[in-house]
Amino acid sequence: MRIEKCYFCSSPCYPGHGIMFVRNDSKTFRFCRSKCHRNFNKKRNPRKVAWTKAYRKTRGKELAVDSTFEFEKRRNRPTKYDRNLMGKTIMAMQRVQSIKEAREGRFHANRMKDAKAEKVKVARVEIEKHAEVLAPAVARREEVMQNVLDSARARIATRRVTKERAVARGSQNMEE
Amino acid sequence: MIYPQTMLTVADNTGAKKIMCIRVLGGNRKYGKIGDTIIGVVKEALPNMPIKKSDIVRAVVVRTSKTIRRADGMYIRFDDNAAVIVNTENNPRGTRVFGPVAREIRDKNFSKIVSLAPEVL
Repeated sequence: MRIEKCYFCSSPCYPGHGIMFVRNDSKTFRFCRSKCHRNFNKKRNPRKVAWTKAYRKTRGKELAVDSTFEFEKRRNRPTKYDRNLMGKTIMAMQRVQSIKEAREGRFHANRMKDAKAEKVKVARVEIEKHAEVLAPAVARREEVMQNVLDSARARIATRRVTKERAVARGSQNMEE
Repeated sequence: MIYPQTMLTVADNTGAKKIMCIRVLGGNRKYGKIGDTIIGVVKEALPNMPIKKSDIVRAVVVRTSKTIRRADGMYIRFDDNAAVIVNTENNPRGTRVFGPVAREIRDKNFSKIVSLAPEVL
């Protein structure tokens, strides 16, 4: 028994789970669940479906090229059982796993480096765009809302005027 | 699920291309599965071959597009419904078998079909 990879989402496909489809040219496709099978039947490309591993790798969201993936290759040659070799293999597996996790973590941290600043920037832009929504909840009554809006507009207008003045003064200074 | 009136592609070189199931052999069956013997009528055939159109033939179902369940819980599905034409001794009448064949065929002792098949899955 072996744990196969789902053709669509690349998740592990445990024995007794999912479905196997055999095309007439003898190529077999394993699917981990009906969701993946259904999407395959709809002729969707796994590289274009956002929740699959293939998508994340092609978009650079996850580690795609790494030497740790070399250990995951399918080997069709059976090896004779050897207790020492088995022990070593298990040790190596744990070591490879820890290296892989560290690399993935580093990759993620590197990718998310500028995310926080970007988030704050986006939030600020949104607040500026929809400033009127921030009026108090009582503003449901139209007049109150109107008052709030009027005052806000007046405030913005005065601010703009002062700013223009400042700019004008600045340019005058420059000319002098 | 092979019922009477089901059209099956013929996965061998007997010259028949399509057969229509007219009976599933083996008791009072509702439908045929992989490994079942059926009686079919040849609907399409190549010219100048031993099997002609409208011949009545025995055939073994080797692929179904309906999933079959294995004892280990795995489900397996093929692209089409296909059959191999056999004689009364359950030996294939053609000399070649095309496309993959389910392992259930071997369990039902159609060893000749299995040996001719390019792949047993």
